Amino acid sequence: MVEALRDRQALFLGGIIDDDAAAEGLIVDDDRVGAAKRIAIYRNNYRSSLTGVLADHYERLHAYLGDEQFDNLAEAYVDGHKSRTRNLRYYGEAFPAFLAKHYPGDGELAELAALDWALRGAFDAADTLPLDAARVGELGDAWIEQRLALHPSATLLPVRHNVAALWSSLDAEEEPPEVEELGGAETLLVWRFGCQSRFRSLSGEEAAALTLLAAGASFTDLSAALIEAQGEAAAMESLAAWLGAWLSDELLVLAD
Amino acid sequence: MDRMTAPSPGFGLGLRPEHYGELLSGPQPVDWLEIISENYMVPGGKPMAMLDRIRADYPMVMHGVSLSIGSDEPMDMDYLADLKALAERVEPLWISDHLCWTGINAHNSHDLLPLPYDAPALDCVVDNIARVQDFLGRRILIENPSSYVTFRSSDRSEWDFLAEMAARADCLLLLDVNNIYVSARNHGFDPLDYLAGLPGDRIQQIHLAGHSDMGDYVIDTHDADVCDAVWNLYGQACRMFGPVATMIERDDDIPPLADVIAELDRARALAARVLEPVHG
Repeated sequence: MVEALRDRQALFLGGIIDDDAAAEGLIVDDDRVGAAKRIAIYRNNYRSSLTGVLADHYERLHAYLGDEQFDNLAEAYVDGHKSRTRNLRYYGEAFPAFLAKHYPGDGELAELAALDWALRGAFDAADTLPLDAARVGELGDAWIEQRLALHPSATLLPVRHNVAALWSSLDAEEEPPEVEELGGAETLLVWRFGCQSRFRSLSGEEAAALTLLAAGASFTDLSAALIEAQGEAAAMESLAAWLGAWLSDELLVLAD
Repeated sequence: MDRMTAPSPGFGLGLRPEHYGELLSGPQPVDWLEIISENYMVPGGKPMAMLDRIRADYPMVMHGVSLSIGSDEPMDMDYLADLKALAERVEPLWISDHLCWTGINAHNSHDLLPLPYDAPALDCVVDNIARVQDFLGRRILIENPSSYVTFRSSDRSEWDFLAEMAARADCLLLLDVNNIYVSARNHGFDPLDYLAGLPGDRIQQIHLAGHSDMGDYVIDTHDADVCDAVWNLYGQACRMFGPVATMIERDDDIPPLADVIAELDRARALAARVLEPVHG
């Protein structure tokens, strides 16, 4: 009596993902290649798909570590993270957290990985229409009361190392600078402009302002918070400079 | 032959990001393009912008790699809804995927895993194709896979399985000539028996691709030119099935567009020679 197809598929997949030798019992053995080697072709395909997509997603981390070290980390990640996503594009999200957990003394690895992942996410995030100066003009005075949000491509990424400089050097295929721990936490803004993923470092004040907007604050809410923190004159100066940049950078959208 | 298929739109290529620039820079001698559906099952950004721009210039077909028509578990309705939404955007000539399964119990291999060619697998595949065709409101194409193992429970050939599947599910076929060659080498059957066993009136599309020859076995890598043996087999397929939409499927080590077009021109010339009416 042949087992149910579902059970046989679970057994075969176990042979691929978990190296379960019992899977060999499902298939015809032969002298030329042999059952074990035949199943190993699928096992190799599985592992190379997953490590390959990690290398694609984490391109600058890969450049930073070199092939051998990156491959070791990718293999270790694949060992502990079976794929549960249908689209390979979405495999590997937990790689930065994996690096943070296993290499706490090399904090730049997880941060560089998080920057790669955020840039990859910005690349194909949703196409929500951004606010620009013309749109704000059309909305009139009422716009300052509207709840705002960051464009779906935007991420605010806290970092403690000079990963912005590391990433940029690696991207330019230059020798990266020495790793440095920053004086305190800094925030990188990652987003998409047109079809291009970008990032820049934020001042603490601008990061706090964008955090408020990301949570659905209106421009009026933001102004009030900033006036309280900085006083009216400084707040107005900051807001005028930021708003122009945010609109031309296609960073803001209406929340509702 | 009384065909169940649409007339051939000619000779096409797989759309790859490496060729976006050349395709947008001016008209290319390519009749249609095939997209990998999953590459455009993302929210937005460059992939979707390129898709829309290139679609404006070329007819397209959609080719999936994760439908998993042979998994013995309920279909993933979220995936099907995304596939249908993409089809509404692309308005493809047709939609295809593979005779395979990709995972079970929420774990995914991201590979085209082989099925046992037995009655339970046939029932599973036929039922799932019917569900997909009902949901999408159209016939789909199922492609023959390349494979490296034979299940002990298999009690019929792959071509018999495909023929019965196509008849029972009333679906169409995508014939990958390279996959026939790869599997013939790996399993020791005659590729001409394979071609002769297929329902020619249901073959809507042909794939041509390269592979890696490991000596004792062959791996379907799509990273090389089409080899002479596969060209010969393609000529046989043209003789047997008449004009069928044909494309070069290159997934790795992607050469400049002109090189792939040169390979496509070889397919055009071969098909034209084989199909040329004999004047007596």
